[in-house]
Amino acid sequence: MSKFSRRSFLGGSAAVAGGLLVADHLRFLEPSSGDLVSSEEFLTGKEVVYRTGHSNNCDGACGHLVHVTDGRVTMIGPASWGTTTVAGEQAPTFHPRICLRGLSQISNTYSPDRIKYPYKRVGERGSGKWQRISWDEATTLIADNFKRIQAKYGKTSVWIAPYTGSLALIEGVVGAGFRFASVIGASAGDSEGDNEGDSATPAGWNYVLVDPTNPSNAGGFFTGHESVDFMNAKTIVFWANNVAETSIPDWRVMCDARDQNGTRLVAVDPRFTVTCAQSDDWVPIRPGADTALIDGIINQVFQNGTYDTDYIRANTVGPYLIDPKTEKWLRAADVIPGAKDDYVVFDESDHKVKAANDPSLKSAAVLGTHSVAGLKARTALQALADMAAKYTPEYTSKLTDVPASQVVALGKVWGTSKPLAVRVGFGLSHWYHGDLHMQAMLTLQAITGNIGVHGGGVTTFAGGIAATFAPFDLFDFWAPKGTSIYTLLEPMDFCDAVEKGKPFPVKAAWFPIDNFAQQMSDRNRVIAAMKQLEFIVVSDYSLTATADLADVVLPACTYFEKTDLLSSNNFYLQYMPKIIDPLFESKSDLDAINMIAEKMGYGEYFTQTPEEYLKQMMKIGQSDADPSVRGLTWERLTTEAVRLNTDPMPYVPFFNQQYPSKSGKIEFYVEMLVPYDQALCDHKEPIEASPTNPLYKKYPLVFLSTHTKFRTHSQFVNLPWLKEVNNGGDGFLEINPRDAAPRSISDGDVVRIFNDRGQMKVRARLTESMKPGVVNCYQGGWDTIRVKHYIEGHPNNLTHQIAKPAQSLIPNFPSNAAYYDVLVQVEKSGA
Amino acid sequence: MAAKKTSVPHHVMVIDTNRCVGCWTCAVACKQVNNEPLGYWWNRVLTTAPNQSTSAKPPASDNIDVPFGTYPDLELAYLPVACQHCNDAPCVKVCPVQATFRRDDGTVLIDFNRCIGCRYCMAACPYGVRIFNWGDSTYAPGGVVGYGKEYWTGDRLVFTPERPKGVVEKCTFCVERIDVGELPFCVEACPLGARIFGDLNDPDSQVSELVNNGGGEQLHPELGTDPNVYYLPVARRVPGES
Repeated sequence: MSKFSRRSFLGGSAAVAGGLLVADHLRFLEPSSGDLVSSEEFLTGKEVVYRTGHSNNCDGACGHLVHVTDGRVTMIGPASWGTTTVAGEQAPTFHPRICLRGLSQISNTYSPDRIKYPYKRVGERGSGKWQRISWDEATTLIADNFKRIQAKYGKTSVWIAPYTGSLALIEGVVGAGFRFASVIGASAGDSEGDNEGDSATPAGWNYVLVDPTNPSNAGGFFTGHESVDFMNAKTIVFWANNVAETSIPDWRVMCDARDQNGTRLVAVDPRFTVTCAQSDDWVPIRPGADTALIDGIINQVFQNGTYDTDYIRANTVGPYLIDPKTEKWLRAADVIPGAKDDYVVFDESDHKVKAANDPSLKSAAVLGTHSVAGLKARTALQALADMAAKYTPEYTSKLTDVPASQVVALGKVWGTSKPLAVRVGFGLSHWYHGDLHMQAMLTLQAITGNIGVHGGGVTTFAGGIAATFAPFDLFDFWAPKGTSIYTLLEPMDFCDAVEKGKPFPVKAAWFPIDNFAQQMSDRNRVIAAMKQLEFIVVSDYSLTATADLADVVLPACTYFEKTDLLSSNNFYLQYMPKIIDPLFESKSDLDAINMIAEKMGYGEYFTQTPEEYLKQMMKIGQSDADPSVRGLTWERLTTEAVRLNTDPMPYVPFFNQQYPSKSGKIEFYVEMLVPYDQALCDHKEPIEASPTNPLYKKYPLVFLSTHTKFRTHSQFVNLPWLKEVNNGGDGFLEINPRDAAPRSISDGDVVRIFNDRGQMKVRARLTESMKPGVVNCYQGGWDTIRVKHYIEGHPNNLTHQIAKPAQSLIPNFPSNAAYYDVLVQVEKSGA
Repeated sequence: MAAKKTSVPHHVMVIDTNRCVGCWTCAVACKQVNNEPLGYWWNRVLTTAPNQSTSAKPPASDNIDVPFGTYPDLELAYLPVACQHCNDAPCVKVCPVQATFRRDDGTVLIDFNRCIGCRYCMAACPYGVRIFNWGDSTYAPGGVVGYGKEYWTGDRLVFTPERPKGVVEKCTFCVERIDVGELPFCVEACPLGARIFGDLNDPDSQVSELVNNGGGEQLHPELGTDPNVYYLPVARRVPGES
């Protein structure tokens, strides 16, 4: 024992020492005293250490070592990974990983912001007046209201929102909420889990690589290279991807590649992010002009002759001829008498036009215009070269603000430095034409032979998404025998469903760890629509802006307090044991669903434990388990983070150069986009954030709302450790001094940011990191009744929900919220 | 000829500023493992120009993460700073009660039983890394209970989860961890692998290699304090060149 007496952690008032202290005594709903233990008692028990995965909507999927004494989590550290695959092969080196957010999870779980008990609304909706109720009463209320509303308006009038706040398997983006929706016949959100800013680039990815009409592609999918595969790249380009801030542990791989292999790092971003600062080259681009820059690079690749002819011929639609009249593919059956139907090519060995399946074909020409059946038909590659020809360095520079010399330099890199890997962020997706950006990126990577190879590709997130969900039989989990799969209602269609009853009316909704009322774009409209609902349930661990609008609030567990599994992105299966008992009266959402389903008469579908679901989903011990996990035992799963079997290792999608597209090749010429004037990746101006938009005169600033290292969307925002470093938690507007000066804005002034959709107020932070004409306010800060990280509003008061029709071709990624395609004006505020 | 490894290690930390992204994970890790009260940071991450260049145009704001220069000619780097564990430590010299002392392994520590709170050490420290407990501390609300137990080196109390009022505190190199062969927690937690810890007396250690051949530099070497924390420089390639 120390001779110093220790004070209780809970009593006493804050003593201010130094300038950093942030007093925060917010207690939501109920005071939390009495539930917590002093260190004096606490440090006496025996310590137990658990391994788990951090599932809070962060694609890094870090492994945590969680220290527990006397039922209290005391410390979190990084956990190591299994060194072999399920099949026993040596896995690639993968460092333990953690970041400031994961370390702060301890204060998230024990935060006074936790919702501690079930509540029902007693005042006006959104008044913040609640009454504590029992779980029995809460689940009865929910069951009765869901039944009543389904009987009155149809089964799909109850909507289960996507589980965006967690990436765990049972309670997360692919989780039990969908099973519940299927069983009760409800509608449900996007199983890709997002409130929709993340759908444009996946749509573009599917245009080029996947046939969405083929049932075996299940409506489209999305995946990428395993993080450690970047070690194999000679050049890595970070395009609209602030990896070093948002996926911090992945940046280590990039540093390792640079320091061990001499890999060159290039960053393309309108903001001077830390990723740009750390890269060898930074390309400062006009926001939304990404496709134009890619087109400029494509043109350089053609001018320099550095496209990969053999690769294009073997693996892409490059040699196929296009009908000049219809702009569709020429078909052999239509133009070559007696030919078996296929694409049409020009054989440069005998100068004859042939079907692509003609056994006499020696070498299909990749370029040129060829006569066939009275038509002058170009190859797809020729069409691309012709389209790109106008993107001279000077014209590209005019469109993108990137110096012409840098366009030339990038053209040189792309043609000569192989393999070249691209990592794109969802910053590229937050545009009306985000699909086109991805289409263009894949086109460039295809003609330079960088797809399906180690150290190449176009990767979003920390690696594979589809690949890491492969081990799980999700469809049986979502729609158990005797039920049919839920009706999909995308988050972007929510407002129409509520306001206009299209495509069907929605009258009740459950938001499980989904901060819909704050994080969805055009939130003024979203909140108005939510207020029209007859019944809203929110299950969450903190009282979010969405919970503010609920009729019933359920206290959810954090990842320490329930059993689950994390298999997101990084190719390791991380069993998540229940480490501590649920705090207060919190319950896992699965337990909540079980209770409600029982009361609705569907109890038979909800009798199993998390362990049983996991065993079934992975077919543990069964010979028909997915090859990635075949032979895995429950014991091994629960004692180490096992790496999936993949071929190859590290994982590379399409390594066999077989593509699930219509042609089986990379389709940089996208026939189905002909009606949308987008068969080729010809640049299109942003729908709103363009100088060509007349609105630009009134709202001359492009408004970005990017991610910060201090939070994951709206999680971790109110944690004291992180707030101390991050401006006391207060949001701010990053603005270039050259934009601030004419508006008489000084550093720290309160500013009003506004457009026709709404406004917000924060203090200005002057920084040269912002391109003049562009401002940024980090999204995710809370705008709840009790906590306001912005002086007024939230960035999503300014964003919109203008979706691009072409995306509807991809059933799984049909609509996208263009969060960055936004114009605003900024003025100094009196208040 | 390389020196033979001796039985007493010489503990050194090397921080690679070419990898540091200013994420503060090290600082939060430190805060957790050492149970630092609200407002107290033993380890902070300064925003700087690369290699602390003084030629760059100063930032438009004093806040963290604001770069030097004018768009698009910009520079940004970070410098994590905690106790430098000087071999010739000014804080040791000025302490009137020998509360601050240097162990043979190079670790500079504070004996909380001896510290009288005169704060001479804070005035003497050229790195500004010492913190004084003015009053009762507050911790993250909700009662996150500190990890760690009190730790004695010899008869000196050099760590306790809650420091008493009126003492000075600072980075201990996680003495309770390194004495049992573990790494300081900031080293273990750094997601970039930017912190390397080891024995400078071992010529084969990674820190020996980095300090001797990797360009490791001490902060303010002109002061003659001879820190045991070394920094590797920011090294970007010339833009445009391959």
